[in-house]
Amino acid sequence: MASSSNATIYDKVVRITHAYLGPAANRFIARQVKNHLHKRPGDLSPADLLSLIDWIRVAVSLLTEDSEVVERYIAELQKLAHSYGRQPGKN
Amino acid sequence: MIPTTKSVTPTLKTMRWCIAVAVMYIVLIFILPANNGTMHYYHLSAVGYRVVNVALALPTIAVWFAAFWGYAKLREYSSAIARSKEGPQFDGLASGCAWLAWSLPVTTLSAFLLNGLANKWPAFHNSAIIISNYFALILPLIAFITISLAARGMIGKSRLNMDLAGARMLMAIFLVGGLAYCFFIFRHLDLTSLASTHNPYFLPAWLMIISVIIPYLYAWFIGLLAAYEISLFSANVQGLLYRRALLYMVSGLVAVILSSVALQYISSVVPRNGNLLFDYRLLIILVVRIVGGVGFFVLAIGASRLKKIEEV
Repeated sequence: MASSSNATIYDKVVRITHAYLGPAANRFIARQVKNHLHKRPGDLSPADLLSLIDWIRVAVSLLTEDSEVVERYIAELQKLAHSYGRQPGKN
Repeated sequence: MIPTTKSVTPTLKTMRWCIAVAVMYIVLIFILPANNGTMHYYHLSAVGYRVVNVALALPTIAVWFAAFWGYAKLREYSSAIARSKEGPQFDGLASGCAWLAWSLPVTTLSAFLLNGLANKWPAFHNSAIIISNYFALILPLIAFITISLAARGMIGKSRLNMDLAGARMLMAIFLVGGLAYCFFIFRHLDLTSLASTHNPYFLPAWLMIISVIIPYLYAWFIGLLAAYEISLFSANVQGLLYRRALLYMVSGLVAVILSSVALQYISSVVPRNGNLLFDYRLLIILVVRIVGGVGFFVLAIGASRLKKIEEV
């Protein structure tokens, strides 16, 4: 994986996801970006983050009923979005 | 929701095979000659003998269904991640589970068929026992080798190493179990003559050692080692939700491996004689088979959860 200074937004999202979906993280995020944002993973931009987070919330809620885990994961992604100046409701 | 043809076909195809072997078993119960010794011993009529056999076949068939469903689900998951880094290892696990699942009906049906033929032609009895014993050995041996290679690949790619305590525990279990196995087997053999076939296996002692005892010990060792390595992988893999799903699959797989080892152990320590006996051995075998069936069921749940991660 790329170092944190050179890491793309996509790499950072995958890195956060890895703590929850392990080896499936890269495939999971690539699928969300392709299927819902209709973009290639490498083309993910800060403007897409909030929309991606919404789709990820829906997808992960289908995988587990443990809402605490879902919220923790989403909070980490929102923190990443915040670091790019993106906040929920200010899309 | 109406399932699409594409997603249903592989599991449905596997379950059709399971239905075919289950029907074959029931048909064999009704068409093969009954065992006169068993009928006389338990005062059973020919119909009563067959009804008892059907009653005993039902839990066995239920276990086959769980086994086929389990390996079909694992195969579906391994196909879904075929191009990923861990794809080949899961494909190996699915193949090993398929061999184990198929070993259940093949072993039972071959023994049942051969015993049926021996009931008709008593001169075939010894050959029937020998062939049944080899069938019980060969298929699980192939399964354990396949699973072991996959498990080794899993921990190799994850750069995990077996810890000393784990290795010691595994060796201790294997040594105790292996020595007890040799003791129980040698009790049945005529050790005054290595060429004597006057034993319940109808094989000379030297051939028993080379072609049965050593392969069994090897199969059990790699089976236990694979169970340990797969557990090690699941305990160390990253991803909270992934690990939870994997834990189901691994718990099921470990139960399947252990039950298979236990079945082989009991079947070889208490030799087959071709007769149906309602004793503690039959009860233990049924319980161990059911544990294996539950293992396959749990494995299927885990594989389905892992596959769902690849679908949403």
